[in-house]
Amino acid sequence: MIAAVTFIPDFFVQLFLYRGYLCQSVIRDLRTKYKRSMLGYLWTMLHPLGMMVILAVVFAGIMRIPVRDYSIFLFCGMLPFNFFSSTALMSLGSIRANARLFGQVPVPKYIFVLSITFSNLFNFIVALVPLLILMLILERPIPITALTFPIMMIPIVCITIGVSLILATSNVFFEDTLHLSEVGMQAIYFLSPVLYRREDLPQWLVDILVISNPLFNQIEFFRDIFFSGVLPDPKLFAINLASSLVVLALGLWIFKRSEDKFLYFV
Amino acid sequence: MLVTKKIKSKSNKGDGTRALTLKEVTVKYRSYKERPTSLKESIIRFVRHGTFRHYSTFDALSKINLTIPKGHIIGIIGSNGSGKSTLLKVLAGVLLPTAGVVERSGSIASLIELGAGFDPELNAIENLYLHGSLYRKSKAAIKARISHILNFAELEEFAFTPVKYYSSGMFARLGFSAAIDIDPDILLVDEILAVGDERFKDKCDTVFRTFIESGKTIVMVSHNMDMLVRTTDTIVVLSRGEVIFSGDPKEAVNIYRDPNYQTRLTAGE
Repeated sequence: MIAAVTFIPDFFVQLFLYRGYLCQSVIRDLRTKYKRSMLGYLWTMLHPLGMMVILAVVFAGIMRIPVRDYSIFLFCGMLPFNFFSSTALMSLGSIRANARLFGQVPVPKYIFVLSITFSNLFNFIVALVPLLILMLILERPIPITALTFPIMMIPIVCITIGVSLILATSNVFFEDTLHLSEVGMQAIYFLSPVLYRREDLPQWLVDILVISNPLFNQIEFFRDIFFSGVLPDPKLFAINLASSLVVLALGLWIFKRSEDKFLYFV
Repeated sequence: MLVTKKIKSKSNKGDGTRALTLKEVTVKYRSYKERPTSLKESIIRFVRHGTFRHYSTFDALSKINLTIPKGHIIGIIGSNGSGKSTLLKVLAGVLLPTAGVVERSGSIASLIELGAGFDPELNAIENLYLHGSLYRKSKAAIKARISHILNFAELEEFAFTPVKYYSSGMFARLGFSAAIDIDPDILLVDEILAVGDERFKDKCDTVFRTFIESGKTIVMVSHNMDMLVRTTDTIVVLSRGEVIFSGDPKEAVNIYRDPNYQTRLTAGE
């Protein structure tokens, strides 16, 4: 078992060796994503803004959840969730999509999942710009805790990579995984405090969710540094980070074990 | 597509004379009866037959023992389904054999599907950066070679055009030039297709010749017997996943053309 743990440093070695490809791949994604559209890269900012406007109108205007500046509240929660969800769903098909490539060039196959992750991470960070603009427009003070956002992102990125690797592996052998995951993401969306606050749920439910869904805390941590100006309890953060690292390691292990069989299945 | 792989130090003999060695290499593929690809179908199959298995296995390569010396051109011939492409994949390090050991001495690149790694939306230069990074080349190293590659491919004036607008010949020339630029110790070539016009073909032949003269190794799969007899030092004949002959090119071709040569079809597989 201890010998098996060498896959973790190996992962970082490969990550470093292929940094050029990851870089080029992200650049490629950014270049092609909005190549033909009129507004181009602006859509990276307009898209979350648009989604948030719709949700804000529905929930604050129609269903009336009593939160001041609900639109900002929503936006803060949406960003990390969308990063997680879109990375996971995009990674599902990434192995199959690159079959021609790794059928000719020996590359470590998690490079494809990582490429998607970093592309989305870049978009995540860029989307902070409209968030800040929105806060300025609505005259909501931007707290200094917001500067800690890179730290808050670490556990989110870890768990996203871990889950994406697991799903990508699964989808090679069971193509249903995509459909199951789409439904699953919807479920997780509602089981995460994106639309509501912790206080809006019965305590017993919160207790279950916090344990079963690491994203629950992570979304709250991320939102709080922007919305409430509050830093998370260090102990809670540490536990959450640890569980995210475990998920990452698990994902890597599962992926590495199956990686050699991929070519036989795609 | 050229693939470069530095030696994986699984077992590195490197006595300086052998480029590639295969020992008892076996590759088992699945032959699907009816392939369920969804969870639902797998469960239904389990309920019906008591097993998840929906395939039988066959040996694409069976206990291959092969030594390829450095500085040689080796040809590999065989009928369709005899295992040639699988063998190349195993040599390239892309496919891990079900059993057996592959030893490599030197960097490997394979020239199979040209441009598998190119993005049609990007132009030639952007694709060269992407392609080079796939082989872990640094941006600076790629930058230094771009003009040389475009020059060899005769595509300088189309450098900024997205490659989806290229003709198939242009695309193949770009792919080939990018691949050749990797400059590996061992080159694997699978049916290198009609790349460009005669002038370009002559260029490619010169490149291959330079390759050999600098002590590198080429492994070539082809159905063009005349070309192989002319260019190769040794030919390996595959039949149904096994090496049935390795030696003099003319003799190899005769064995292949012999009516007793077994293809998977004649063997009733």
